Amino acid sequence: MDRKRTNIAVIEPSHIVYEGLMNILLRSGNHFFIYRLNGLDELQALHEKEGIHVAIVNPGMILNRVGAFRKMKSSLHEIIWVGLVYSIFEPELLAVFDSMVSISDEPEKMIRQFNRFSGTVKNRSDRKEQLTDRETDVLILLTKGFYNKEIADKLSISIHTVISHRKNINEKTGIKSLSGLTVYALSKKIVSLDDITF
Amino acid sequence: MYSTHKTYIRPQMKMAGLINENHALLLLMEHLEIDFNVRDLTVEELCRENRISTEVFVAIGNLYNGFLPEKIEQIPESGIPVIISYLKNSHSYYKKDKYPELIELLHLLKKNHHSEDIGLIEKFFNDYFEEVLEHLDYEEEIAFPYFCRLLNLNNDALRSDFSVDNYKEHHTDIETKLTDLKNLLLKHIQISNDLTLRRKFFNSLFELEFDLTIHSIVEEDILLPLIKQVETKLLNG
Repeated sequence: MDRKRTNIAVIEPSHIVYEGLMNILLRSGNHFFIYRLNGLDELQALHEKEGIHVAIVNPGMILNRVGAFRKMKSSLHEIIWVGLVYSIFEPELLAVFDSMVSISDEPEKMIRQFNRFSGTVKNRSDRKEQLTDRETDVLILLTKGFYNKEIADKLSISIHTVISHRKNINEKTGIKSLSGLTVYALSKKIVSLDDITF
Repeated sequence: MYSTHKTYIRPQMKMAGLINENHALLLLMEHLEIDFNVRDLTVEELCRENRISTEVFVAIGNLYNGFLPEKIEQIPESGIPVIISYLKNSHSYYKKDKYPELIELLHLLKKNHHSEDIGLIEKFFNDYFEEVLEHLDYEEEIAFPYFCRLLNLNNDALRSDFSVDNYKEHHTDIETKLTDLKNLLLKHIQISNDLTLRRKFFNSLFELEFDLTIHSIVEEDILLPLIKQVETKLLNG
């Protein structure tokens, strides 16, 4: 799996609330990966290991530890901290979070909010599927059986550029294997059967 | 393809209820050669009656229900033969059931439409399946016999052509091509009408993908760690 995923850590003592939240997130069709933690102290190690993008925290978990929480938040500043609110808290406590979800939020609203947190998810769905001219050139040479290095020489571009074009082709078409790309190119009349060996 | 709204299977649950909730479990039972008439038996009773390790049944059954295996340690090494027999039976499901079914549907599609594209899909599918068969042969000729020799506590068994990396690489290639095939049909190839036939083809393809995915997980996350345990024991005398 090379698709960019969003790692979400959830620190929420209620099993029911956690299960509900997880279901909403997983059913959204986005590539969310969810970790459940028992407490804030587990987050540091997990972040070092997996790279956490978003931490969803029940504000009750930091009620008497706001100072410690602020400290942790500034040391793990790349994480987006979201408060999961289902009872009444002091505004000062909620103010330490970057964002908030409420237990009464509609699932769609919640998903939109999480999508905003991860730019990669958004970019992917916004992107046009049409191949650029250069990508088409690379595709044609691929279906003719040329290797990356040969394609780079023929098009006078670097091998890294070839690889980057290939990645874009894979993402736009949803097809990764060479034989799959060949079927794609033939069906779109980008190449004809006489040009290639298939 | 992977629904997460199923019950987590436990040994005391009634089998009939579980099948009603997720009929894909019938496929698991077929692979394990368990009869579908389960009367009022619980999972545990059913396994005992069929002389199958309950731990293995629960672990693989939960994959069909959308849960990844918890702890490998729970599965005894004595469960390895059942796992291998499950895998062998699923091979024959791919070869003798799914492949002929998909090819037949493609032939019908081809007959209904004079489109070059369907021919391309057919060729792609045949090449893809050739690769699947190669992997299945590798398992049957190299991997499984190796595992069986290990279970007979044969020290010589440790020398083998078998390689875990090879195994995993095959799985990745197979999964990539199957995704490609679905995307070609969902996003790129134009076929007009014939929705019923195309839906049948997709259904069959998704069924194949569902079982292949579980097949890979059973091999990589359940069987191989168990094999590793046996290997380590043998190496340490």
